[in-house]
Amino acid sequence: MRVLGIDTANLTNTIGLIDGDRMVTDFAWEARDNSLQRIIISTDLVLKRAGLTLAEIDGLAVGIGPGSWTGVRVGVTVAKTLAYAVNKPICGISSLEAIAYQARSASILLCPLVDAGRENVYSAFYRARGKTLAMEGDYYVGNIKGLTERVKEPALFLGKPAHLYRRAITGELGDLAGFGSPSDTSSGCVVALLSLTRFAAGAADDAFSLVPLYLGESLAQALLRKKETEAGDE
Amino acid sequence: MLVLGIETSCDETAAALVADGTILSNVIASQIDLHARFGGIVPEVASRKHVEAIGYVIQEAFDSAGKTHTEVDAVAVTSKYGLVGSLIVGVSAAKAMAYALKVPLIGIHHIEGHIFANILSNPGTPLPHVCLTVSGGHTMLVHVKELCQYEVMGNTLDDAAGEAFDKISKFLGLGFPGGPAIESLATQGNRAAFNLPRPLGRSRSFDFSFSGLKTSVVNMFKGRDRETLPLPDIAASFQQAVVDVLVSKTLQAALHKGVSAVSITGGVSINSRLREDFSAACGRQGLQVFFPRRDLCTDNAAMVAAAGAARLKYGEMSQLDLNAIPNAPLESIGCAGKHC
Ligand SMILES: [Zn+2]
Repeated sequence: MRVLGIDTANLTNTIGLIDGDRMVTDFAWEARDNSLQRIIISTDLVLKRAGLTLAEIDGLAVGIGPGSWTGVRVGVTVAKTLAYAVNKPICGISSLEAIAYQARSASILLCPLVDAGRENVYSAFYRARGKTLAMEGDYYVGNIKGLTERVKEPALFLGKPAHLYRRAITGELGDLAGFGSPSDTSSGCVVALLSLTRFAAGAADDAFSLVPLYLGESLAQALLRKKETEAGDE
Repeated sequence: MLVLGIETSCDETAAALVADGTILSNVIASQIDLHARFGGIVPEVASRKHVEAIGYVIQEAFDSAGKTHTEVDAVAVTSKYGLVGSLIVGVSAAKAMAYALKVPLIGIHHIEGHIFANILSNPGTPLPHVCLTVSGGHTMLVHVKELCQYEVMGNTLDDAAGEAFDKISKFLGLGFPGGPAIESLATQGNRAAFNLPRPLGRSRSFDFSFSGLKTSVVNMFKGRDRETLPLPDIAASFQQAVVDVLVSKTLQAALHKGVSAVSITGGVSINSRLREDFSAACGRQGLQVFFPRRDLCTDNAAMVAAAGAARLKYGEMSQLDLNAIPNAPLESIGCAGKHC
């Protein structure tokens, strides 16, 4: 199965193509507010390198976040519209799982981090189960201290923020904390690889209803919810 | 030529199919009820809603037109002017459609879309003419010299006219959006009850300013118990002040350019008082006046498709690196004055 994978949830935007479990080509760029400008050009570049047209792929996979809200909206909207336009199946993949997948050979708890702004991170815990990863517990959004409080065993911290907050993590966890390579990031090919089992299981997503995983509400939504809850309590 | 139009510059997710000036479908998913809970448009909420709705809206545009993807000749999208987070969703979808279907992509300025809402409704509108496009997001006077040849004559210096309606409506406790609420209340009021300012009404510039008018209303009535306020009179007087300014500026602009016609577009152009006063004033001046069909007054994608078709006729299209630019100026296209 040929799958085009797209992930624009992180600062590093990435598009890759796989053919079965073979990575055909992968392309990444540092997106500084240019995800929208470069996404189709980069998609075209990846397909041309592989000598394929969009119609010749069998499916699309897209990182749905968590990550930059604007970035992930570009990736998800482009991927689902491409899938709709050429009538191919699509699968939304957690951008955190795509980071954790890079360290799937490690036997300890995997803790991928994505920047959430204001000194917060998005995270989740994964454990390798054979060829796949199993998520343990819920997604996390908050500061490093809150995250490390949940860690009671040796864990491998992955992704760029792991290195940014390395000192704070080690300060809380000491020897329990291990760190992956600073280059651990999501990749289009990995996102595509993660979709294979989902496609095989007939668990593709609906291109119309697919939306990003925001893991947070806008400030206005939060205020409104507070106001409405208070009004309900009266 | 069949053009798919996509518009997500503010709070409406819209897609339309237009073939050579005929609207085959014009689908709009309004978020107005959602934003009403917040008392105004929340950008992050709007962006999220666009992502949810965009696919369904595009599909509905094809379904209700009875057309298939392969029949599309071009994709036009609002890429300039509006909320950046909202624009990004439409541009993402439009690029993906254009790339997948291997057809030209055309980025359109939102205001150009509104100008074409009238041209689509009234193909006989003379050129040149002066277009006032007025809504909750913009108040702009444009000299339309030719199709796709523009000169911006005036703009709002602060609030858009529709925004002033929203703010006064909120102040009076009438809810969001303010336009329809104030208009319906105003029908029972006396529009001469209060002497409100007509900001910049006499100045030579064609710019608008509505925040002073809003402040006058607020200062006149703040601190008063809402129950004691003559709401219909306030609504009628306020609405009249806004309409007076819009009419006088637009007529000044038309006279200045020596055109024979004006068009009034955008969400506020639905307002009946505005339509009546424009018709009367233009009649006195011997000017023709045109309004779009009511369903093309508010933001829609048929107007974007129409503008896209016109630009494509002049050979103009966008590259696949098209960006979303919230504050872009309204631009004319290269081949000045030439009918292609
Ligand atoms: Zn508008």
